[in-house]
Amino acid sequence: MGRTWTSMDDFEAFLDGGGIVEVDDDMPDAYRQAVFAFIEMHANSELMGGLTERDWIPRTPGLRHKMAVLAKTQDEIGHAHLLYMVGADMDIKTRREIIEDLFAGRSKFHNVFHYQAKTWGDQVAISFLVDAAALASQQAVFKNCSYGPYRRILKRIISEEGFHMRMGEERMLRIADGTEVQRTMFQQSLDDWWWPSLQLFGPDSKPGDVLLRWHIKSERNEVLRARWVQKFVPLLMSYGFSVPDPGLTHDPATDSWTSGPIDWEPLKRTMAMRGPDSARRIADAAANWADTHWVRRVLDNAPARAAGVAA
Amino acid sequence: MTGLGTAVREFLLAFADDEHLMGQQHTEWIGVAPFLEEDLAFSSIAQDELGHAAALYAIVAGDGDPVDDDLRIDELAFRPSPGDWRSAQLVEVAAGDWAHALVRHWLYDAAEQLRWEQVAQSSLAPLAEAAARAEREERYHRRHADGLLDVLLPVPDSGERLQTALADLLPLAVGLFDPVAGEVEAVANGVASAPFDTRLDEWTDRVRRRFDVDPSQIQPAPPTGRLERHPDFGPMLVRMREVMDLDPAAVW
Repeated sequence: MGRTWTSMDDFEAFLDGGGIVEVDDDMPDAYRQAVFAFIEMHANSELMGGLTERDWIPRTPGLRHKMAVLAKTQDEIGHAHLLYMVGADMDIKTRREIIEDLFAGRSKFHNVFHYQAKTWGDQVAISFLVDAAALASQQAVFKNCSYGPYRRILKRIISEEGFHMRMGEERMLRIADGTEVQRTMFQQSLDDWWWPSLQLFGPDSKPGDVLLRWHIKSERNEVLRARWVQKFVPLLMSYGFSVPDPGLTHDPATDSWTSGPIDWEPLKRTMAMRGPDSARRIADAAANWADTHWVRRVLDNAPARAAGVAA
Repeated sequence: MTGLGTAVREFLLAFADDEHLMGQQHTEWIGVAPFLEEDLAFSSIAQDELGHAAALYAIVAGDGDPVDDDLRIDELAFRPSPGDWRSAQLVEVAAGDWAHALVRHWLYDAAEQLRWEQVAQSSLAPLAEAAARAEREERYHRRHADGLLDVLLPVPDSGERLQTALADLLPLAVGLFDPVAGEVEAVANGVASAPFDTRLDEWTDRVRRRFDVDPSQIQPAPPTGRLERHPDFGPMLVRMREVMDLDPAAVW
C-alpha cells in the first residue's frame, strides 16, 4: 500500500507542492474518478481517431507513403493500448469494460472523431489540425500532471505525436504546392475541420475546474485554444488557404489573431452521441467487436501459456 | 550484372506484387482485429510486407541497382491495368472475416519463408540482401500466426471457422507456387536457386502438420500463370488508386 492522506486539504497541499500520485496510493475517490474519466476519454479518443483514419490507409497514394500512414495510425492505436492499461490499473473498470462501454455508446470520446473523414484531404487535415490541437492539450497536461502513471505514458505519446504533426505538415505543404485539384480538396477539408478542431479544446475553463486544481490540466482551455488559433491562422493564410471564420480579427499592434464567436452546439451534440457520424461510428465499431468475439472467448479460456496474447 | 532483362523483371514483379497485396490486405485489419494487440501486430506485419514490396520494386525500377525514388517505385507498385499485374489470387481475394485473415497470414508466410530462401544466395546482390532482412522479420510473423493457431485450432468453434477458411483459401494458396514468367531465366542466371514449385511438397507437408489435413484433398485452382485476376482484385485496385486517380499530375 502506498501513501495515505488525512483529508482532502492534506491531499491538495501535497499536489500543490508538486507531489506525484502513484497507482497504489490511497488517493481520494473524487480524484481517482476524475483522473480515470480523463484517461478513459483520452484512450477512447486515440482508438476512435485510429478508426477515423483507417478507412483511408488502403487508399494512400504511394507505397512508402502507405507504410508511413499505417505506422502513424498504429501509433494512435498503441496510445489507446497504453492508456487503457493505465486506466484499468485504477480499479474502476477493466480494460474490457472500458472498450465495451465505448462500443455501446456509453462513454465519451473527442468531438472530432464524431465526424467522417470523407476525402484524402480530410485525412491530411486530421494529422495537421487535429493532431496539433490534441498535442497542445497533451503537452499542457504532461507539464504538470499529478498522476504519475499517466504522466509517464504522456511523455511517449507526446514524442510520437510530434512526429505525426510534422508528417501532417509535410503532406499539407505538398498539397499547398500542388495542383488545383489538391488545393481545392484541402480547402474543403479546412472548411469542414477548422471548427471541430478548435472546439476540441472545449469551452472556457470554469473557475472551480477540479482538473486544474488537482494538477491534471496545467492551462485553461481558452489559453490553449487561443494559442492554436494564433499559430494556424497565419500559417494557413501564408499558403493561400482561407480560414472559415467570418468573425476572425487581427490586431496589427500585436500581430495576433482572435477567432470570432464560437458556436458550442456542435460540441454538445457530439458529447451527447449526436454528432454527424456518431451513430455510424459506434455501430461499426460494435459490429466489428461482435464479429471477433469468437477469438476473445477462446483466448479468455486458454491455458496460462497462451495468456500472453489475450486481451 | 548489366541490367535485369525482361524475364528477370517479370520474375521480380510477381514477388513484389504478392508482397504489396499481402501488406495491402493486412492494412484492412487495423482497428478492427479481435483486440488491440492484434491491431498492432497486423499493422506491423503489413508494414514489413509493404517494405519488402518496396525493396523489390526499387530493384526493378533501378534495373538491378535499387532506386530511392518514391515516384519510380509507385509507377510499378500501382500499375493501372489489371492485366499487367503478376500477383497470386491468394493475395487478391478479400478476407471475409478474421479467420480468413489469420489462415491466409499463416499460409502466405509459410510460403514466403521458402520463397526468400530461393533467392538468399542470389547472384543479384540487392535481392540477397533483401532476403536476409526479410527473414529477420518473417520469423516473428510466423511465430505470431502459430501462437494464435496453437490456441484457436483445437477448440471446436474456432477450429471449425479456421478449417472453413482453410478450405476456401488452400486452392488459391497453392497458386503461389505456379511457375511465373521469367522464372526459368532467373534460375538460369543464378537470380534464384531453383524453380519455386520444387518447394511445394515441403510447404504442403507444413500445411498438413499445422492443420491436420490430407494433402491429397488439396485441389489447386487451375494454374493461370498469374495472368488472370481474382474477381476481388478489380475493386481493390480501384481503391488503391482512388486518390492518385483524382489528378494524374498531383504529387502527394
